[in-house]
Amino acid sequence: MTQDVEMKEQPAPSNSFTSSSPSTLHHLKEIASLIEIGAYDREARRVLRAIRLTMALRRKLKASVLSSFLSFALAPGSEALTRLSSYLPKEDEHEMEVDTATTAAQPPAKHSLPELEIYCYLLVLIFLIDQKKYDEAKACSSASIARLKNLNRRTLDVLAARLYFYYSLCYELTGNLAEVRSNLLALHRIATLRHDELGQETLLNLLLRNYLHYNLYDQAEKLRSKAPRFEAHSNQQFCRYLFYLGKIRTIQLEYTDAKECLLQAARKAPVAALGFRVQCNKWAIIVRLLLGEIPERTVFMQKGMEKALRPYFELTNAVRIGDLELFRSVAEKFLSTFSSDRTNNLIVRLRHNVIRTGLRNISISYSRISLADVAKKLTLDSVADAECIVAKAIRDGAIDATLDHSNQCMLSKETGDIYSTTEPQTAFNSRIAFCLNMHNEAVRALRFPPNSHKEKESAEKRRERQQQEQELAKHIAEEDDDEF
Amino acid sequence: MDLKEVSQQFERFKAAFVKNDFDTCANLLSQLKVLLTKFRSLPPLFENTPNAVNELLLAREIYEHAVVLSVKIEDQDAFERDFFQLKPYYTDVGSRLPPSKQEYLILGLNLLRLLVQNRIAEFHTELELLSATALENPCIKHAVELEQSFMEGAYNRVLTARQTAPHETYVYFMDLLAKTVRDEIAGCSEKAYDYLSINDARQMLLFSSDQELLEYVKEEHPEWEVKNGSVIFQKAKESTPCKEIPSLQLINQTLSYARELERIV
Repeated sequence: MTQDVEMKEQPAPSNSFTSSSPSTLHHLKEIASLIEIGAYDREARRVLRAIRLTMALRRKLKASVLSSFLSFALAPGSEALTRLSSYLPKEDEHEMEVDTATTAAQPPAKHSLPELEIYCYLLVLIFLIDQKKYDEAKACSSASIARLKNLNRRTLDVLAARLYFYYSLCYELTGNLAEVRSNLLALHRIATLRHDELGQETLLNLLLRNYLHYNLYDQAEKLRSKAPRFEAHSNQQFCRYLFYLGKIRTIQLEYTDAKECLLQAARKAPVAALGFRVQCNKWAIIVRLLLGEIPERTVFMQKGMEKALRPYFELTNAVRIGDLELFRSVAEKFLSTFSSDRTNNLIVRLRHNVIRTGLRNISISYSRISLADVAKKLTLDSVADAECIVAKAIRDGAIDATLDHSNQCMLSKETGDIYSTTEPQTAFNSRIAFCLNMHNEAVRALRFPPNSHKEKESAEKRRERQQQEQELAKHIAEEDDDEF
Repeated sequence: MDLKEVSQQFERFKAAFVKNDFDTCANLLSQLKVLLTKFRSLPPLFENTPNAVNELLLAREIYEHAVVLSVKIEDQDAFERDFFQLKPYYTDVGSRLPPSKQEYLILGLNLLRLLVQNRIAEFHTELELLSATALENPCIKHAVELEQSFMEGAYNRVLTARQTAPHETYVYFMDLLAKTVRDEIAGCSEKAYDYLSINDARQMLLFSSDQELLEYVKEEHPEWEVKNGSVIFQKAKESTPCKEIPSLQLINQTLSYARELERIV
């Protein structure tokens, strides 16, 4: 491969210049070579590794390093080079001199690989976003998306998916998400046509995020139900998808589904993604409260999340005690936090749960209590209210009691021995099913190097293997005979 | 000049509307809708013609009246259709036009309709779309509080809310709601009380006379018994906690365990 040979000549001159960050540029060049190898072998894994390495370098990117990398990777005078260089700020004189020195030193062996070009776009975009130059980032990302539409190579998928993500991010940071929506939809269509699964995933998540940002739960659900089946190729995308799905289900009052999704998202998320896990946990706590269960204290005490989850902790306390007054004061106290988390409407729905829990406590503690006392304990407005609420609670099966209208009191029934029913069996069953499910998913998630099954066995190896199998069979047969 | 034509038709429509002449209204409305298709600045085209703002304003007014008309003729499907046509005028074009006086009223009506049809999930989805200022508006607040009382089970509050309806158009939906509430109360009382005296039952179910109560019981709940001046609810015979084992379920579960365990290599 002539290209590879040329590549090997490159690193030598680059080490000679005295720029302030030789290692960063060196790393970038290594990454570039990795991408090239990946492109030639058609293996997306190498490109993935390249991107992971880039993320590690993110902090150290500087304009000078970038411009020298750009001139290295892209053909001089190419449209991409001029466009990208215009986004980078002009550095002071000293740096410029060093740059021109290095560019003169290197022989211009450019391979115009589209992968490298897109990779350069990605680098510049990341740099601009980190520098908070959002307008330029917007322009850069739009240009890259336009360029991507013309290219149709599978190895580009990984880079493209990242690009889409940053494209949406810079629009979101400037508050113009709605503009991007039609573009994202078109890109999703294209990705589906090209069977670009990673791109499909990423774009679907970005679209869902877009809709949820504007509270358009209805449209988000329509898109999600009609879009092609979600195959999880990347753990991070799957976590995001679960989180958005959980949110949609919560708003639609399907709390059991929502709880499952949100808890799974919180579990699968990488430990480093603290903000994401905090959000998942917030919503999961509220959903559990809405379902009537009280989350344990350990949920709130997870490392790094204590401060963020404090308002929810106090809320859970109020619900657990069943005190409407306390609930109202907590809701008011943390109104701003809840509004920024967009959980305000859900908290309003919790009022009903507070009353139920309070009622349950009363029903367990008293065998007979007058409705006036119930109203007083629950701080309800009137006795008639209390009567209706208790009646509904009985109908829904939340408490086990009867009402006596003429005496205006509530009589609780005895709760029998729970172990004589099938309740323990059902509880065990759900846990067993969960563990087995987890096992199946783990097996399915095993990945093998994709080309390993294609290796043809040489004749010799085959003979050897067959011999071994025969011996084994004889051995087993002998053992069986021995037993008799 | 299309604009003038449409405006004239609309004036005629409004006149018929005030006179409560619903047939002419319906006819004129269909004519108006056909004329509206000629305007290119309306959804879904949203072109920017010079008259765009006026056309949009006029179209919005027409649809608002259509919605109120559908309430008056008690056609819920027509309400839904017209409301969906009206929605883009509030959401997408809302920034370009001056706010409509009837906007909150119509949004409140829609929420109420969803509540009456028991489409609570959609109710909440719609609620999410409303801004904080919208939630303060009495029309919308009314619907929200109604839903809360309904969920909690404080049905008496629901029925008193009928008196405090912010607008006369709400009355139709409140009546429908009253009927649903009555069914709910009956269901709850069945489970909660052993028996109720006729007077109490009448009060709770909001009948004005014993006769109505008896008819209701005969029609809807034949399993209740009425004797000795009280209504006795059919207490589900305290079935002895059945000692039988739900065998089918257990078999299914055990089989699935066996299958999964076999798969473990």
